[in-house]
Amino acid sequence: MSQIQERGSTHVYKVNRISKEEIDSMAERCVYEEPPFCSAACPLKLDTRAMLRAAAAGDFKKALQLYEKVAPFPLILSMGCEAPCEGVCRLCEVGDGVAVRAVENALARCAPQSRTGLVFRTKKRKTAAVFGSGLFPLFLAGELEKKAYPITVFCEQEDLAAFLHCETPFLDEEAFALELGRLKGKDIDFVFGCEIDAAFFEEKRAQFDVVCASARVAKTVFPDAVCDEALMFFEPQKLVMGCGEGVMAAAFGAKKAALTVDRLAQNLDPRNTRGQEGAIETRLYTDLGEAKALRRVELPAGGYDLDRARKEAARCIQCHCEECLKSCAYLRHYKKHPGLLAREIYNNTQIIMGDHQLNKPMNACTLCGQCTVVCPNGFDMAHVCHLARQNMVSTDKMPLAPHEFALLDMLFSNDEAFLCRPQPGYESCRYVFFPGCQAAAIAPETVKAAYADLCERLEGGVALLLGCCGAIGDWAGRYEMTEQTRAFLDRELGKLGEATIIAGCPTCRKELSDFVSAPVTGIWDVLETIGLPEGAEKLPRPMALHDACGARGDEATQTAIRDLAAQLGCELADTPYSGDRSPCCGYGGLTAYANREVAAEITEQCLERSELPYLSYCMACRDRFARQGRESRHLLELVYGANACETPDISEKRYNRLTLKKELLRELWQEEPIEMKLDFSVEYTDEARAMMDERMILTDDVIAVLDEFHKSGEAILDEDGLMVARRRVGNATFWVKFSLEGENAFRVHRAYSHRMRVEKREG
Amino acid sequence: MAIEKNYYTIDPQGKLLCVKCGVPLIKGKAKFMYLDNGFPVELPVCPSCGFVYVPEELALGKVASVERALEDK
Ligand code: SF4
Ligand code: SF4
Ligand code: SF4
Ligand SMILES: [Zn+2]
Repeated sequence: MSQIQERGSTHVYKVNRISKEEIDSMAERCVYEEPPFCSAACPLKLDTRAMLRAAAAGDFKKALQLYEKVAPFPLILSMGCEAPCEGVCRLCEVGDGVAVRAVENALARCAPQSRTGLVFRTKKRKTAAVFGSGLFPLFLAGELEKKAYPITVFCEQEDLAAFLHCETPFLDEEAFALELGRLKGKDIDFVFGCEIDAAFFEEKRAQFDVVCASARVAKTVFPDAVCDEALMFFEPQKLVMGCGEGVMAAAFGAKKAALTVDRLAQNLDPRNTRGQEGAIETRLYTDLGEAKALRRVELPAGGYDLDRARKEAARCIQCHCEECLKSCAYLRHYKKHPGLLAREIYNNTQIIMGDHQLNKPMNACTLCGQCTVVCPNGFDMAHVCHLARQNMVSTDKMPLAPHEFALLDMLFSNDEAFLCRPQPGYESCRYVFFPGCQAAAIAPETVKAAYADLCERLEGGVALLLGCCGAIGDWAGRYEMTEQTRAFLDRELGKLGEATIIAGCPTCRKELSDFVSAPVTGIWDVLETIGLPEGAEKLPRPMALHDACGARGDEATQTAIRDLAAQLGCELADTPYSGDRSPCCGYGGLTAYANREVAAEITEQCLERSELPYLSYCMACRDRFARQGRESRHLLELVYGANACETPDISEKRYNRLTLKKELLRELWQEEPIEMKLDFSVEYTDEARAMMDERMILTDDVIAVLDEFHKSGEAILDEDGLMVARRRVGNATFWVKFSLEGENAFRVHRAYSHRMRVEKREG
Repeated sequence: MAIEKNYYTIDPQGKLLCVKCGVPLIKGKAKFMYLDNGFPVELPVCPSCGFVYVPEELALGKVASVERALEDK
């Protein structure tokens, strides 16, 4: 029996660095975190999407709060802003863009204000002064107050109302009153009635850490003053100053100026660490497939009331990319977009000591490649997870437990159940049929019928190879094992000469073409050429076709399958996500072994696409759909009128492979296989059988335990009167609860296992 | 003297019998080992032949969860 060496220790101080650049460039393909189009166009970086979401939900207070984050005087901004966001709104492509500015205006006029002014705040120690009046000084004072600077404004006006009125003639009475209220609520000191000339300025500036001025004051005091617009700064005098015309210029200017004040207050160069300022390009992708409500809510002369604003805000489709999450149940399970998940999985591989918390997600991806097709940027999560698995294997950090059963199954396929023979009567063959391990495990009769047909109708001899293509080792990230498997198959195939391989499974076809030199084709291609065999089952009823993930990007295979189904009289119903966009059935990438919960969700989602019986051309798909209770057929079952087993358990899948080999040896090659005879008999309760399947315990494991008991007599008699025996097999200890039914007959009631060793301890 | 810590204790209370030796199992010292980590425990042990019994609940419960935790180290 095959064994795999368990890793020796959890203390392996080794990491295999994938370059940070490599993972960054992979992760950057995902645009999930890119800003929506509206925010990207906003120089103030308003979180427009969140504001509209809150407004659409009727949470006007929160919506206004979000707006006030960038607009200390929201009414002034909403009346004077040129609204660059509206022109780039994605909805413009299908109708009217969202009337963002009108919504903002309604919020500024009608939404309940939060009373931040009353909350006690600790102020900064550095002080700032603003000289002059107008939009820039007003906004800058607002920004600095928000940042908690003790701030003093020196202006010519005699009171607050006059100060506010300067440069805001467009405010009507009601709006003016509202903004005046906001201004009064802010913690700003005013010195009114100042005559600001050079002498006055020089006298006052000494009392403050940072000084700012309107463009007009700056020019009065320093006739040679020029504003560096990126910083809103006149460096020779260390003066923060305004420039430009209009509301948006003042608001954006004040934002930049406030950042410059921050840097100056910390004695830093104002040029450093400013991040990206102003409008930016965004790479965000949004599907407009379901965008509705193409016209704006009508705008009355006085602007929206809150109700209309809510309706208009609700038209926003909340732009974001989720193409992959829509299609992949695995990504939805972990509720993460691939850009982030890829980074986390990468970081997981770099942990030297401690918990590798991302092992489960890393091993739950089916490596199916669907995301790469549906993602507008071709994000390849399969590559990330596959690479990460190989990385973990190379540093001996990869747990064996999640994949061991599947790996042993691969070794079983290529050892006890392996068969490679030329067709009887031939020395060398033109072809070799490679049905794949799952076909032999699930549908031995179908394999037999297919092989007989190929032998009969193809010229030049058809050899047979029963085994596993190595996909299992590859999926597990066990590259050395995969190499060994490939070398082994290469040798065995080599013995047959340059026989063309006829694969029965699209994944085998793909895997084999990667490493064998002989040509590889699919049995579906052969059937297309030689036609269906006589007696192929006619099936004049609709079925849903599930494309195998192994045939992704393989148009020829997808077409051949459809042709054959049509020849069989099948009406194929179209499902969403078919062809290259097809999801994996849940078997791929060993998800079905490493994470059954996720695998079940993936299968469930496959079946949600249609109510019809499913037609597939990969035995693993066929089996998983049947297991989930759906009527499920493999194309070859129909072609050969030879059915697969309905939901065989793990032991039956092994038994089927062995029996297929034995029967073929006996029937075709007249070889009598050596049978291992047991000198006791075993039967299982239904409960035991189900339990063993669930716990991945094979009848072989149980028999090993009973064999040991038979020889040693070592067992426990438990409270329920059952015998309990155990044996270490490979990396696990198996326990079997059984009763004696006569001298050499056992009835198995329960079975369980653990991987830890257990030993008596002295002292 | 170091105080010995046991991670888990089961007392068979005479309810389990060693089939080979025909004597009841007693609470005895045993050790779980996995990936170079060891855990002292007290389990039902045959006083005569030393058979250590791991009941199903223990194997599927505590033992399985410690295994999972160690595997991800
Ligand atoms: S489809 Fe997924 S991976 Fe691709 S950009 Fe969108 S969120 Fe990112
Ligand atoms: S639909 Fe909404 S999130 Fe998208 S661009 Fe328009 S306003 Fe912004
Ligand atoms: S399961 Fe398939 S679609 Fe989902 S992330 Fe993995 S490779 Fe992409
Ligand atoms: Zn004993």
